[in-house]
Amino acid sequence: MPGFLETTVDKFIFKVATDRHYSAEGVWALAEGDRIRVGMTDFLQQLNGDVAFAEVKPEGTAVATGDEVAVIETIKANVEVPSPVGGTVVEVNPAMELSPEAINQDPYGQGWLVVIEASDWPTDRDALLDPQAYFELMKGQAEEEAKKL
Amino acid sequence: MSSEGRKVMIVPCSGIGKSYGTVSREAAFEVTEDSRPRSTQLVALSLLVLGDEGARAAVGAHPTVTIDGCKLACAAKMVQESGGAVAQGFAVLDVYRRHREFKPQGIAELNEGGQQLAHALAEEITAVVDDLISQEEASHHA
Repeated sequence: MPGFLETTVDKFIFKVATDRHYSAEGVWALAEGDRIRVGMTDFLQQLNGDVAFAEVKPEGTAVATGDEVAVIETIKANVEVPSPVGGTVVEVNPAMELSPEAINQDPYGQGWLVVIEASDWPTDRDALLDPQAYFELMKGQAEEEAKKL
Repeated sequence: MSSEGRKVMIVPCSGIGKSYGTVSREAAFEVTEDSRPRSTQLVALSLLVLGDEGARAAVGAHPTVTIDGCKLACAAKMVQESGGAVAQGFAVLDVYRRHREFKPQGIAELNEGGQQLAHALAEEITAVVDDLISQEEASHHA
């Protein structure tokens, strides 16, 4: 179980896992050797609401950093998830087929999307945010969203 | 379809911000006004929230079907908090997952997909209502 940074904005509690890196778009990347597990942050999933369907790029798909690696259809929107890392999709979460609500229930665990074999993880990692930096960015984004309520 | 006095209460979502709440209400209207008007009765979630005695008595005395528009499941929770039991709970999102071709859009006015989804949901509710009424009649005659 990772540790978490946590903040409350309005009535919502948002968590940021401390064991991985983040893109500003709210996508996390967890290094497991050269393989990078990828998923949506707690903030991104809460922002977009209950997930109806998840379409994830199949195994063998080559993706560049920023390429769409999944499209998540929620009750509010279709969310295009940009890959935080370049490489090849080597594993797809089977839960996305039958129980994509795992994204809502456990965004940093069972709700992962894909595993990507990174072509240049050190370079991609340097372009990502560490947990504290993403936490500060996310708090600002959450506060902006709260003003719209 | 039903004997006089045997009714199933229908409690839809009262959410106002997303299509799914509207779908829940459209389905509830279709069941209570068109498909099974004699064996069902619409109960407003807001009355349960207010603690209205008539609404509380209705869900306490009759089998109740809830239709929730999101995972907060306010309809199911309020029925339970009002002393009723949920005979069958529906979630619009689950129905949409079974009917992806019916993508709901619009809030005040549903698009074609939303109307079709509401109809599909209403058919599922109607089947449950018939089953509940049959069970009630069977227990009455036993």
